[in-house]
Amino acid sequence: MQKPRTDANFEAVPDHQQGKAGVPDRALVERMAAGEERALGELYDRHGGMAYALALAIVREGADAEEAVADAFGQVWRSAAQYDPGRGSVAGWLATITRTRALDLVRARGRRTRAVERAAQADADGLAAPLATAADQPDRGIERQEARRLVARSLGELPEPQRRVIELAYFGGLSQTEIAAELQEPLGTVKTRMRAAMEKLRGSLAPLLVGGAS
Amino acid sequence: MTDHQWTELAAPYALGALDAEERARFEVHLAGCAQCRGEVQSLHEVTGLLAESAPAAAPPGALRERVLREARRVRPIGARPPFRGNIGPWLAAAACLVLAIGVGYAYLRERAAHGRASESIAALHDTIAGRDSLVATLLSPDAATAALAATGQAPSARLFWSPSRRRLVMAVFHLTPAPAGRTYQLWAIAKGKPVSIGTFNTSPDGRLVAELPLPADLKFELTAVTEEPAGGSPQPTMQPFLIGKVTPAD
Repeated sequence: MQKPRTDANFEAVPDHQQGKAGVPDRALVERMAAGEERALGELYDRHGGMAYALALAIVREGADAEEAVADAFGQVWRSAAQYDPGRGSVAGWLATITRTRALDLVRARGRRTRAVERAAQADADGLAAPLATAADQPDRGIERQEARRLVARSLGELPEPQRRVIELAYFGGLSQTEIAAELQEPLGTVKTRMRAAMEKLRGSLAPLLVGGAS
Repeated sequence: MTDHQWTELAAPYALGALDAEERARFEVHLAGCAQCRGEVQSLHEVTGLLAESAPAAAPPGALRERVLREARRVRPIGARPPFRGNIGPWLAAAACLVLAIGVGYAYLRERAAHGRASESIAALHDTIAGRDSLVATLLSPDAATAALAATGQAPSARLFWSPSRRRLVMAVFHLTPAPAGRTYQLWAIAKGKPVSIGTFNTSPDGRLVAELPLPADLKFELTAVTEEPAGGSPQPTMQPFLIGKVTPAD
C-alpha cells in the first residue's frame, strides 16, 4: 500500500462520495428503497451527468447512452434496498451498473464499443488521443471537478500501452484475451500491463479512495 | 494455483476482464479468501473512479424525466400466488386485481373527500399505473412466454414479454432470496451469447412478480437465471440454475 499523498485534503470527504448538499448519497438510496421518487431525482441530479458521460464513452450514439442511463437508474431504483455501503460508494455502484447496461446494449446490437473502435483507429493512425479529457463541467462541484482532474491526470501519467489496456477493458468491455487479440500482443504482456496500471492508479487515486484515506 | 497467483487475478477481475471460466474459478476462490476479497474491493474502488475519466458530456434535458418515468413503471410490484397452467387464469386474476383496485380506489376517493387519504390515493395511483402496464404487457398481441424450470425441483419462473412494448413480466416461485451482497440476474441468450435483462431478488417467501424493461431489437431463443455479485455482472459467472426455452407468440 502506498503512503497517502501529503498534498491531498484528507479531512474533506470527497464530493463524489457524499454529495453536494450535505446529504450523503447513501441516505438518498435509503429513501429510494422506501419508495421516495424525489430521492431518485436528486441522485440523478448528482450523478446523471457522470452516468451519461460514461455510457457515451462506451456506446456510440446518444440515444443508446440515454437508454443505458435510464436502464441503470431503473435498476438502482429497483434494487436500492440491496445497496451495501460496505462494498463501495453509491457513485461507484451506479457507474458499475451503467457500464454493464451500456456494454449489454452494444453486445445486443452486435456492435463494437467506442473504445474498441478507437483502438482499431489508433492502429491505423499511430498513437491514440487520450480518452480522458478532464473537461470541466460548470454544473459540478469544485471537489467533483478536482476528482475528475486527478483521475484524468492519473490515467495520463500511465505509460500509453498500460493506459490502452485499461481503457479497452473498462470502456471497451474486453477480456484480457480479447485485448491481446485486439492489440496483437502476447497475453502475458497484457496481463502484466493491466496489473501494473491498476497498482499505479490505486496509488495515485489514494486521496479519493475510502480505503486509501484511512 | 498459489495464493500469489490468485491475487494477480484481482486487478483483471475488478476491471471485468477475466474470461467467463477464469472468473467463475476466481469467484469460488474469493468465497474462501478474505485477502483476495479485500484486494478486489480496493481495486473496485479504483475502477469505480475510472468512470470520472469519460469525456464530459451533458445529458439531454429530457433524460431526467425519462429516468423518473421509467423507474415509476418498473417498480417491483410484490408477490402474487403461483402461476399454473395456461395464461387464462393469470389474466382472470389480473382482471380481478384491477377490479379490486378500482373498488378500493373509489372507496379511498370517498375518504379523501373528507380530507384523510390523499397519500394513500397517490400510492394507489402508482400501484394502478404499475398494474396497467403489467396487464398491457400480458395482453399485447405479440406477448410471448417462457417457463423456466430448475434441474432439481424447487424454484421456477415464468416470463411474459412484449417486444413492441419492450417490457417483460417475470413471475418467480420458490426461490430463496439471494444473500447479502448477491443478486439474481436474468439473461436472454441469443445465438449462444447471454445479454443481461436485469437483476432481481425474491421476497422472503421466495416469490417475485416484477416488470423489467427489455432492450430494443433483442431476439433470443433461451432465457436463464444466475446468481451474481450485487449490481449484476456483464456476463454470467456461473452455470444458470434456471433455463427456459422461448415460446413465440402465435
